[in-house]
Amino acid sequence: MSFDKKITRRTFIRAAAGSALASGLSVGAVSCGPKNAQEAADGIKADPDIRKIATQCQGCGANRCGIYVYVKDGRVWKVEGNPRTYNNAGTVCPRGHAYIKELYNPDRIKQPLKRTAEGKYEPISWELAFEEISTKLNLIIMDNGPQSVFWAQYPMANIPLAFRFMHALGSPNTITHGATCFTARNAAFNATCGALPDNDLKNSRYIILVGRNPAAGVKLQQIKDIANAKRQGARLVVLDPRHSETAVIADEWLAIKPATDLAFLLAMLNVIIEEGLYDRRFVEEHTVGFDNLRDALVTYPPEWAQTTCDIPKETIYRVAREFASYKPRALIHRGYHGGYGAGYFNSFQTARAVAILNAIIGNYEAVGGLFMPLKPTLGELEKGGHPAPPIPEIEKADGAGVPGRYPAASYSDGIVQAIPELALSGKLKAGFVNHMNPVRTNPNPERVIAGYKKLELLVTIDCFMSETAAASHYVLPESFFLERDDHVDTVHSGPVGQLTVVAQVVKPMYDTKPLLDIITGLSKGLGIGRYFNFTMDELNTLRLQPFGVKLEELKREGVVEVGPRWVEGFKPCKTPSGKIEFYSDQLASWGLDPMPRWQEPLVTPNPSDKNSFRLIHGKQAIHTHSMTANVPYLMQLSDRYDMIRLWINRQRAEAIGLKDGDTVVIESDIGKGYVKVRLTEGLHPSAVWMPSGYGIFSKYLKTAYGKGINYNDFLNTYFDPAVGHVMSNEIIVRVSKA
Amino acid sequence: MSAPVKSGKLAKWAMLIDTTKCVGCLACVAACHNQNELPVTEFFNRVEEREFGCFPNYNRRFLPMQCQHCDNPPCVSVCPTGASYKRSDGIVAIDTRRCIGCKYCILSCPYKARIINKEHGFVHKCGFCAALLHNNALPACVGTCPTGVRVFGDLNDPNSEISKLAASKKVIQIGKDLNTKPSIYYIIG
Repeated sequence: MSFDKKITRRTFIRAAAGSALASGLSVGAVSCGPKNAQEAADGIKADPDIRKIATQCQGCGANRCGIYVYVKDGRVWKVEGNPRTYNNAGTVCPRGHAYIKELYNPDRIKQPLKRTAEGKYEPISWELAFEEISTKLNLIIMDNGPQSVFWAQYPMANIPLAFRFMHALGSPNTITHGATCFTARNAAFNATCGALPDNDLKNSRYIILVGRNPAAGVKLQQIKDIANAKRQGARLVVLDPRHSETAVIADEWLAIKPATDLAFLLAMLNVIIEEGLYDRRFVEEHTVGFDNLRDALVTYPPEWAQTTCDIPKETIYRVAREFASYKPRALIHRGYHGGYGAGYFNSFQTARAVAILNAIIGNYEAVGGLFMPLKPTLGELEKGGHPAPPIPEIEKADGAGVPGRYPAASYSDGIVQAIPELALSGKLKAGFVNHMNPVRTNPNPERVIAGYKKLELLVTIDCFMSETAAASHYVLPESFFLERDDHVDTVHSGPVGQLTVVAQVVKPMYDTKPLLDIITGLSKGLGIGRYFNFTMDELNTLRLQPFGVKLEELKREGVVEVGPRWVEGFKPCKTPSGKIEFYSDQLASWGLDPMPRWQEPLVTPNPSDKNSFRLIHGKQAIHTHSMTANVPYLMQLSDRYDMIRLWINRQRAEAIGLKDGDTVVIESDIGKGYVKVRLTEGLHPSAVWMPSGYGIFSKYLKTAYGKGINYNDFLNTYFDPAVGHVMSNEIIVRVSKA
Repeated sequence: MSAPVKSGKLAKWAMLIDTTKCVGCLACVAACHNQNELPVTEFFNRVEEREFGCFPNYNRRFLPMQCQHCDNPPCVSVCPTGASYKRSDGIVAIDTRRCIGCKYCILSCPYKARIINKEHGFVHKCGFCAALLHNNALPACVGTCPTGVRVFGDLNDPNSEISKLAASKKVIQIGKDLNTKPSIYYIIG
């Protein structure tokens, strides 16, 4: 029930004691009361001012779900899912519901800030901030060249602005969080089939999730499609060291030893090839390197794998046969962060094995298999007379995509955990960080802080005073997503292209600006103003031009479908051969293994130390990275459900004298922390599992400050040799009673 | 989701919760929180968790809980002022203007579904989103669930999905032995 906040206990009693007047009184400020007492009790006002505005959620950044935001009497009230947007199909996750209320969080940055002394910030006007930043940056570029500047940003729809800005300056160093998240997976699919496919989960008959947990690393459409597929009789197998939230609805949980997914997958391939269960015609017509693969895999039968991965050989045989028997309507989920996004030394080849297993049963571009999403190409600024700056011909400072360094790394994602070293060595002198918090989300915070503090100029653009913002020279407040118009976006494209847009719901509450205005303001003093002489509406109108869709129409509907629908049938791959590459000449030319073969993990728990564990981590549905820990409504759920706990296998825990709820001390060679434990039978004995998203140490974030710990506190700075990812599960810790 | 209201006859609202589909994401909790404009620390619904078995033959289940809108509600019979009452459409409602905050109902509810509003001192709880039903829309927790755990509808409509499900042998009512006659049915699986 809803009630007016202004009503006090006393007015209620008075009203209750009164007569027919009561209902009129009880709704306070509203001029016209409800029709009767029942409606008053239901919270139905006769004429509330309710507006419903279509926009795009920014509560995680990855899904950007289509939502309707309700504004009641001028105040943002609630949110509903847009039933037509692909990624959420009418639903909203807990973060999406709670995140809209961040608009009113008192911890928001309310005006531009300048650091005047260590830990001390003072307000500065936008004009002066732009002037001071551009003056400093001009001097840095004059002395060190434009390649000494970087821009790090979580890849939201507005990231093309960051590229444009950096390219206009002459720097190639745009960097996302990718190397801490998913770059091993992306690189492996690029090498195998030319791009990252999507999963046709709802039509699949047999679904395997390898470390992927869409119920907590929320992708609403995926979990919805899995539930629907199961309703139609599909079988769901979850391969995960931890009994994930998706495993709760699975037919089978395979409690694999962490870091050994590759062994399981190689053995599956071995069985499918040896027993001739693959799709011969598909392999012949659409793949290259099958004979090499067959030769490489003979050494990996399930008898070998079972000792490595702790799954009995009978199970491996059975899952391999079942998977192949449903061909092509079976799939191994393309994965995300969990499993092989950026977790282990062998993640790249694990992802290769996943890509190849899908191909070997011929499920590419098949109903119930994998397919390439139909992403429409947006119109460009050039068409409106705004030429793009040239792409700098300098190599990226982090070595992403550079032969001899990290050849398989993504050029556009870069290698974010390289920034501190590059700053300490003087290669990077200045940086911008937008909607990202590397000081908290990158390995070994002490080292990250040392690196970022070495920069001569660090500017953070954000809504909240994150750890990174609190290490910056200038903090520029971006308008909250509900307060701004932003880019037309294609993130919802799957079986059909979809356009969506961030639309302003309410006027900005404070002296904040959208990113375009911030970049435009900076560009003037940097001599690149000619690249930023357009408005957001102009930009969006040009983006929409190829489709004949009006911006007003898109804002009204929240989503517009464009282009053809997906049809079954193989399409040429964007690989060198145009086919799916089991054997990759390109990988061989980079000195990488052209085929997936077993690779030992980088580190292993000490078998003779009963306190030694591998530290793995994962998401909870109520939190995104480090950005939602300070949402009071979500932190309240963390507390209420006692979710800030380290999971530990019950038998292992009892062997070291732990009881459920005990506080433990957890130590690696770089960090130490204290956390409560949850004893469970739902975790492989060799690992402890930590929920990510806690451990906020920015004192400006009052709700989250000091609550819980973060796996990055224990992680060394690593660079996987192929992709340069962080290998975030290669951590050995000692756990003991505090 | 189609609207829950059948025109004509008076409705008898009921919900089915299929715990075999619940992944414990708490979207229903967050949606309820917004819809009812609750303070940070107050919640009308919750999701409990149970674990079964030993590694690696292990499973767990999530159990969404809230007011069961009993047909024989103990909260109504203990209420000294008549603030808690049973509506003809099956909803157990509270007239907050009559509530004196004595908390008898909180103690009497076997489902721990009632809470005190700290600011105003009255008791409140899940009302099946009567304001949304009034506008022919589904309760907030139903519409937001990604896996379709919740089915809501009218038991007086024999053709409704909820009528068919409630009659099936698979469903149980929690605390049936207490003779509370809940309007929420569960598939425990």
